[in-house]
Amino acid sequence: LVTTGAIASDTFEVFGTTAVLLVTRSSAIGQARGTANRLLAEVDLACSRFRPDSELSRLNAAGGEPVSISATFAKLLAAALRAARLTGGDVDPTCGRALAGLGYDRDFAELRATGDAPARLMGPVGPVPGWTRVRLDRGGRRVRLEHGAQLDLGATAKAWAADKCADQIADEVDCGVLVSLGGDVAVAGQPPPDGWEIRVTDDHAAPEWAAGQTVTISSGGLATSSTTVRTWTLGGRQVHHIIDPSTGEPARSCWRTVSVAAGTCIDANTASTAAIVRGPAALDWLHDIGLPARLVRHDGTVETTAGWPYNDPGDAA
Amino acid sequence: MEPGYLAARQRQEGQSHDTRTAAASRDAALSRDSGVAKVTALSWRAGAAGVVAAGLLTFALGHHAAATGAPSGHQNNQGSIQIPAQPPQQGAGSGQVTSGAS
Repeated sequence: LVTTGAIASDTFEVFGTTAVLLVTRSSAIGQARGTANRLLAEVDLACSRFRPDSELSRLNAAGGEPVSISATFAKLLAAALRAARLTGGDVDPTCGRALAGLGYDRDFAELRATGDAPARLMGPVGPVPGWTRVRLDRGGRRVRLEHGAQLDLGATAKAWAADKCADQIADEVDCGVLVSLGGDVAVAGQPPPDGWEIRVTDDHAAPEWAAGQTVTISSGGLATSSTTVRTWTLGGRQVHHIIDPSTGEPARSCWRTVSVAAGTCIDANTASTAAIVRGPAALDWLHDIGLPARLVRHDGTVETTAGWPYNDPGDAA
Repeated sequence: MEPGYLAARQRQEGQSHDTRTAAASRDAALSRDSGVAKVTALSWRAGAAGVVAAGLLTFALGHHAAATGAPSGHQNNQGSIQIPAQPPQQGAGSGQVTSGAS
């Protein structure tokens, strides 16, 4: 635990990444952490792809039969399907088989430790089955996967959890809250007078001198997607985890990193992931929606949209 | 003809003319009253229909506004990606947290 002025922070590991919790009333940090622990445990049990006892693992193994699900998993799945719908299927939760085919069928730390991963399935799996193959009866809390669809909620679950934690903690402790789950940032409650300061860069674990830009937000969320961090080698070639649903392969994007600010963290993450998949067309798409974004090409040049603050050339990625 | 007869005839014709004029006036008045009544009835119907339509429109717009209004907290607008209340501002230093991929 760290306290700077009135702001207290707590850093811990969750979902195989680093979580940071900030509150504007230092005495609230303990209660805030307790709430975060409970909510994050619920999310992990609902949708971890690497826990055999998770609801997602049971659903993926159900062979297309309907499965009863918890309210939490129903919400997570509804959020993933909404992201797919709003991006025209560019952020698709049915990429589980594609990721497993690329060797990403275990915890990422274990995958990386493996070195050059073998392709465990039959090689490229082709286009993903598509989010419309997920039959969710949200009211009845039942779901069925058609045509061999396998889910991975990695593109949305972390951001959804950040929003949920920030909202619930702010309600309970009645102060400003920031929750960062592996760089997916959600804020709620009364922010600090100058807003929350967020360093935007390729890797959420980068040192503070790493190239990037510092911005402030006072509400909503900010998320960053990149092809440069969650990478591993497969049969001698480097691959990453952002799947282009139209090919079932890692997206070949002109952007190495995209950061987006939105009204919620999950919307920010939905847009940043979709932007990686869309490539050059993402600029017009983000502009038309009105989403402030920072897009970094592989050569480090930066494009911004919709009011994202001017990027000092000396501070470029 | 005797002047008295002519005078009587003229009076009789004048009375007959007056009678016809009065009858025509009555008919016109009745017709006018009928027309006014019809217009009044139509106006009331149109007005009532307008009131009903305005009520329905108000209800529909109110329902739509409630469905699409700015959500509180991080509730998601189902219909579109939610833009931020304001864009990020330029900050300084290394930031309180880092947003990057994980």
